[in-house]
Amino acid sequence: MLKLENVDAKYDSFKALDGVSMSVEQGELVVLLGANGAGKSTLFNTISGLLKASAGKITLNGEDVTGRKPSALVQAGVVQCPEGRKLFPEMSVLKNLWLGGYVHRRDKAGMKKTLEHVLAMFPILDEKKDQPAGSLSGGQQQMVAIGRALMGRPKLLLLDEPSLGLAPLVVKQVFEAVQTINKEGTSVLLAEQNAFAALKIATRAYVMENGRLVMEGDRDAMLGNEAVRKAYIGA
Amino acid sequence: MDAFLQQALNGLTLGSIYGLVALGLTLVYGILHVPNFAHGALYMVGAYISYYVMVDLGLNYWIAMLGAGLFVAVLSVLCERLVFHPLRHAPPIHDKIAAIGILLFLEAVVQMHWGSDFRRMPTPYTGILEFGGLVLPAQRLLIIVGAFSIMGALHLYLKKTMTGSTIIAMAQNREGAFLVGIDANRVAMMTFAIAGFLAAVGASLFAPINLVYPAMGHLVIMKAFVIIILGGMGSIPGAIVGGLIIGFAEALGGYYVSSTYKDLIAFVLLVVILSIKPTGLFTKGVR
Repeated sequence: MLKLENVDAKYDSFKALDGVSMSVEQGELVVLLGANGAGKSTLFNTISGLLKASAGKITLNGEDVTGRKPSALVQAGVVQCPEGRKLFPEMSVLKNLWLGGYVHRRDKAGMKKTLEHVLAMFPILDEKKDQPAGSLSGGQQQMVAIGRALMGRPKLLLLDEPSLGLAPLVVKQVFEAVQTINKEGTSVLLAEQNAFAALKIATRAYVMENGRLVMEGDRDAMLGNEAVRKAYIGA
Repeated sequence: MDAFLQQALNGLTLGSIYGLVALGLTLVYGILHVPNFAHGALYMVGAYISYYVMVDLGLNYWIAMLGAGLFVAVLSVLCERLVFHPLRHAPPIHDKIAAIGILLFLEAVVQMHWGSDFRRMPTPYTGILEFGGLVLPAQRLLIIVGAFSIMGALHLYLKKTMTGSTIIAMAQNREGAFLVGIDANRVAMMTFAIAGFLAAVGASLFAPINLVYPAMGHLVIMKAFVIIILGGMGSIPGAIVGGLIIGFAEALGGYYVSSTYKDLIAFVLLVVILSIKPTGLFTKGVR
């Protein structure tokens, strides 16, 4: 459904993405591996329209969406749950979730249904729904961020390092949630440094280095690949 | 004691107008992170439009106020579209220079059209109310009630409606707002429209007990800046409370200290508060 062809992106003169070509098919959970500074977040922000691609083409279900505004992409069903969560810290958890459904604001009944679904997936958010999002623990904030993205009813969910800075037990919970979301039919593109946990739930994976995709393969190939094991799994 | 209460009432009148103007300024600051120096000029234009509709066209005071509000809202959106929007990728100093440019431009246009005379705007509410020794002209009561109703309505709009919440969302996390699909242009235009409307209504309320002249926005905007610095840049409750603090300080200071120096009080207060609490009264840490 999502296809990138030779996409470049620049910060001033620095080329942060260099000829990236990749795809995510309907229903897949694709993992993007890479060290800090490899360009994962840049890639995500380019797909989301926060950054403009300086070259190349991005298509969504065959339609050219290169250079569209972030709001247009959310409308089209590409929703990002960003690194660092980017919540509205002084608003309540509920308000954060509710704003996640901004593009569906005319469909109050539909929003309510999605909200119930999200609260069922993360029951702790129901308990904390009136607290300011900024007062929650890191793991809970991550759940708010994922929940907020789900409120946009994504067809493709971009998840940028959801496990960053979380305790191992919480990481497991987050990955289980991601797997559930994927099984319910949402395609997922997941950027991770926690390679082993991510690959376990993945369909396919790409490896990114210095703004280029240097490797691609399905789960088993990646898990068995010596270079990947050395660089990202550490075994 | 009566004198004190009387001055407190005057302070409340002043404070509610300052609060209205500062609210618009703080909303724009929260979204754009640019101090809109032209806000005082919008206030001044609001007073002139009100004056024009009421005196030259001979229409009702309320129609004049509403007309001024709508006119200045559109003018404010035009400033955003034609000046601040094209400068969105430029360094912040460019916005500041542009804002001063708008200020000078609007003042020159008004001066060209209406001249630099001081004008007095009449009010249909000339009655005087008395509560056991306290004297309250009807226009002052109107200012207090009007300003606080508008603040209340704005509060409900920002907290309870989805469109209103987008303004707060954008102020709290710009990228997060983009990622839920909030359109930056829409929010910017809406914020400027609200700010312009508040300034013009504030001016129309205040004009009958003050004078209308091209430089009338200067002191008001300087005080509005003092208020949002006191209250914390971008803080909405800060703007309201800050407005009241300055209003009371001016009224009481003008009476007990010296009315010659009453315009100085706001700035003295600014120096004092900034030396004690440099982040402002209502900021929760640095973002």
